Amino acid sequence: MAKAKGYSDETLSVRLADRYYRPEESSDDFLENVEKISMTIPHMCYQCGTCTGSCPSAPRSSYRIRKFVRRAVLGLENDALTDPDLWLCTTCYSCTDRCPRDIAPTDVIMAMRNLAFKREIVPRNFLNTVQFIYKTGHGVPNNDVNRAARVRLGLEAEPETTAKYPDFIPGIQKILDHYGLKDKADEILAEGQ
Amino acid sequence: MVDEAKSQKPRVGVYICHCGTNIAGSIDIKELEEFSKGIPNVVRVDEYQYMCSTPGQKKIEEDIKEYNLTGVVVAACSPRLHEPTFRTASKEGGLNPFRFEMANIREQNSWVHMHDRQGATDKAKDALKMAVAKASLLEDLYPKSVPVEHTAMVVGAGVGGIQAALDLASSGIKTYLIEKSPTIGGRMSQLDKTFPTLDCSQCILTPKMVDIDRHPNIELMTYTEVEKVEGYIGNFDITLRKKARGVLTPAEAEARGIVGGGCNGCGDCEGVCPVIKPNPFEMGMAPRKAIYIYHAQVVPLIYTVDFDSCVKCNLCVDICGDKKAIDLEMQDEFVTVKVGTAVLAVGYELFPVEKKTEWGYKRYDNVINALEFERLICASGPTGGKVIRPSDGETPKRVGFVLCAGSRDNTGIGKPYCSRFCCMYSLKHAHQIHEKIPGAQPYIFYMDIRSFGKMYEEFYYRIQDEGAKFIRGRVAKIEEDPITKNLHVITEDTLLGQPVDIELDMVVLASAVQPTAETTHVRNLFGISCSGDGWLLEGHPKLNPCGTTTAGVFLAGVCQGPKDIPDTVAQAEGAAAAASIPIHVGEVELEPYFAMCIEEKCAGCGMCIDQCPYSALALVEKDGREVMQVTEAKCKGCGTCGGFCPGGAIWMQHFSTPQIVAQIDAFLLGGEQ
Ligand SMILES: Cc1cc2nc3c(=O)[nH]c(=O)nc-3n(C[C@H](O)[C@H](O)[C@H](O)COP(=O)(O)OP(=O)(O)OC[C@H]3O[C@@H](n4cnc5c(N)ncnc54)[C@H](O)[C@@H]3O)c2cc1C
Ligand code: SF4
Ligand code: SF4
Ligand code: SF4
Ligand code: SF4
Repeated sequence: MAKAKGYSDETLSVRLADRYYRPEESSDDFLENVEKISMTIPHMCYQCGTCTGSCPSAPRSSYRIRKFVRRAVLGLENDALTDPDLWLCTTCYSCTDRCPRDIAPTDVIMAMRNLAFKREIVPRNFLNTVQFIYKTGHGVPNNDVNRAARVRLGLEAEPETTAKYPDFIPGIQKILDHYGLKDKADEILAEGQ
Repeated sequence: MVDEAKSQKPRVGVYICHCGTNIAGSIDIKELEEFSKGIPNVVRVDEYQYMCSTPGQKKIEEDIKEYNLTGVVVAACSPRLHEPTFRTASKEGGLNPFRFEMANIREQNSWVHMHDRQGATDKAKDALKMAVAKASLLEDLYPKSVPVEHTAMVVGAGVGGIQAALDLASSGIKTYLIEKSPTIGGRMSQLDKTFPTLDCSQCILTPKMVDIDRHPNIELMTYTEVEKVEGYIGNFDITLRKKARGVLTPAEAEARGIVGGGCNGCGDCEGVCPVIKPNPFEMGMAPRKAIYIYHAQVVPLIYTVDFDSCVKCNLCVDICGDKKAIDLEMQDEFVTVKVGTAVLAVGYELFPVEKKTEWGYKRYDNVINALEFERLICASGPTGGKVIRPSDGETPKRVGFVLCAGSRDNTGIGKPYCSRFCCMYSLKHAHQIHEKIPGAQPYIFYMDIRSFGKMYEEFYYRIQDEGAKFIRGRVAKIEEDPITKNLHVITEDTLLGQPVDIELDMVVLASAVQPTAETTHVRNLFGISCSGDGWLLEGHPKLNPCGTTTAGVFLAGVCQGPKDIPDTVAQAEGAAAAASIPIHVGEVELEPYFAMCIEEKCAGCGMCIDQCPYSALALVEKDGREVMQVTEAKCKGCGTCGGFCPGGAIWMQHFSTPQIVAQIDAFLLGGEQ
């Protein structure tokens, strides 16, 4: 727990705040929950940095996958779930490919996003994606630019997905409804208006 | 005492050890003690904090006399640890030591059932019942002494094998030193300098190599491999394959009646040979001929013909002339030697680091491995010690060293262990770059710097002071600029928390090490085990690091696990000392666990003979009929024949059928038979 120092100047208080990490700050079951959902072993991380070094997001942002793995190990649940960087993983799996400890850092991120969603911490664009999937079966629906490119490459304008077989969209909606994902997304988006 | 004991009804003493809290912490000793009193044949039960201590042993010694015991059972740790201790105590008390039986209630019980006290206690009761059942039927046995051959063998002549052979030979033992390559020296002779003192590797190794050649007690056999191993401690019969070298030593020439002939190392042959091949000693970076030596300081200085590439043009034979040293029709020869003990020092090879594709070894010209670097920086190497980039021959200014390249890797592609000398030699390499290339900048990419040895941390300090840049991050990938052939090393500087992209002229991968391809073959020949990672298994990781589980076979150097030169030499001296003990004592006791033929039951079918893996059985004529006979010294007591004999005519001492059946009955029926 950060100890209050009671400076009269608010900014000074923030700058000179106690920055020790103390085990009491850790959540007891965060690591356990992350491991259960991700089915991987972040507690075996030796902080080598191979994941960040492999990550296409890292050189373009403040996102450091290695730090999220560390937060899992130490149970720093709030730090992890409230950090907007959590949503910068592209799920390319480069880190998972190379991690020498055979951890799947990508899945650690996925697990944390799950836990964040439970706390309704989720960026609006992700919720928009949910709505798109509900509507079209695609996070990024086909569009005219894409269609033209496909035709140029000698492919059909619509891929072998819901784009071509919209009959399957109700099935997808049923799945999303089952988990209440669409309603939740609508609800959070509405709140923020 | 002994005879008296034999004629009596069994009287067994049971002793339960607490092992501090190791056993007592998870097993109810009182309950076990009470239970033991009810086991048939038990006449005395006692318990103690540490049975292996002097007072613990005294209890056994005194009780044997006082209670006239015929058998002793100690419920404690593994027999591998203290069976000898309690056998001695039994002997001191006047009982035949083979009337002692151990119940393992620690390694196989308390340590693995720490959280189930009742379950552990119940299991200990079973173990005790069974041990008492066996102890009730144990018999007096007498170990056999066999004389030990006054010779030893060392397999592998790297620095480890060289040191072991010198020590054995200097203690007065005739020693065969067997090396599969044409020269001795191993990996150390490929190195330029050695950490942390930076002495020249060849300069400190060559004197030892010369000593090997000159030592009156050493018979050096290069270009030779072990073909077959028979026998047992004290009396190994080892068959060696002397590979056809195509060239005669002066002694071999003389034996063929060519006086004053044989190879004198002049090298004329090499000059005329038309075949060019890469020299493995130079990591393929320099050529050699089909008739070759690896380098100028080889021991012995005798040329070798590579028959796989020789075109038999005979040019070498002609130029060699009257020395008549070259015989292109030479065939492999086999010799068998007898030795008392053997030391294996077969070394290591580099992990094929191209398997970690992200670092581009073998794809990018300027990514090399550390042994290639050693040859490049070595004054006697292919470039005369001038470090150059393979792509364009330019001098690299910015050189990266990638540590843990394939080590500490749990992906299944690399090796899970630490290769132990790569941190230190990479520091050395950084120093050498500074020394040889003015204005050069070495970068060391590391996770941890493991500088654990004497003067090693000080060496790390020195290299950092010289200006090497240390970047704490395991390299994620290397990318090559297709035009300049420069390399972009990409990792996270984990201390800054920032991804870094560093453009370098050359990158050296500190590749992991692994057991050589033939290690398994050698291991099987000598009947020893390996640990999960493939390195040869020592007798005990702490208390018997030079021995193996096969009596008379010892280990030295990296073949037992990665270690640097100081550790290799220390282990080699330890192995040599251990291997010399049975030889100096002159005889060894063999455990009397051999098979015996019950001649009345033996039908003389001879079917067991082929079953024995150690050729210990034969049919002999006795009283006009054929019966099986065991050569006790050859029998290892494995029990194969005993389990096989259809007539039940083979009696396994100390593991007899009645003893084993009694144990099973005790377990299943609670002691009734
Ligand atoms: C790049 C690099 C740099 C290094 N630098 C240093 C340093 O500066 N300082 C330091 O202390 N250590 C250094 N080391 C470690 C050093 O190489 C080893 O500690 C040492 O060579 C181990 O010696 P060895 O005798 O166990 O094995 P090896 O040197 O591998 O010798 C084994 C010998 O056995 C022979 N052999 C193998 N199989 C058989 C067989 N079946 N029959 C007969 N013979 C066989 C081989 O031909 C070889 O001659 C370095 C290692 C590397 C890779
Ligand atoms: S690559 Fe694996 S071991 Fe290395 S820091 Fe990332 S998660 Fe940890
Ligand atoms: S999967 Fe995510 S965290 Fe891993 S390298 Fe790709 S973008 Fe980075
Ligand atoms: S010695 Fe150093 S470089 Fe080699 S595996 Fe161990 S930690 Fe890695
Ligand atoms: S027990 Fe039998 S099979 Fe085994 S070594 Fe002895 S004689 Fe051979």
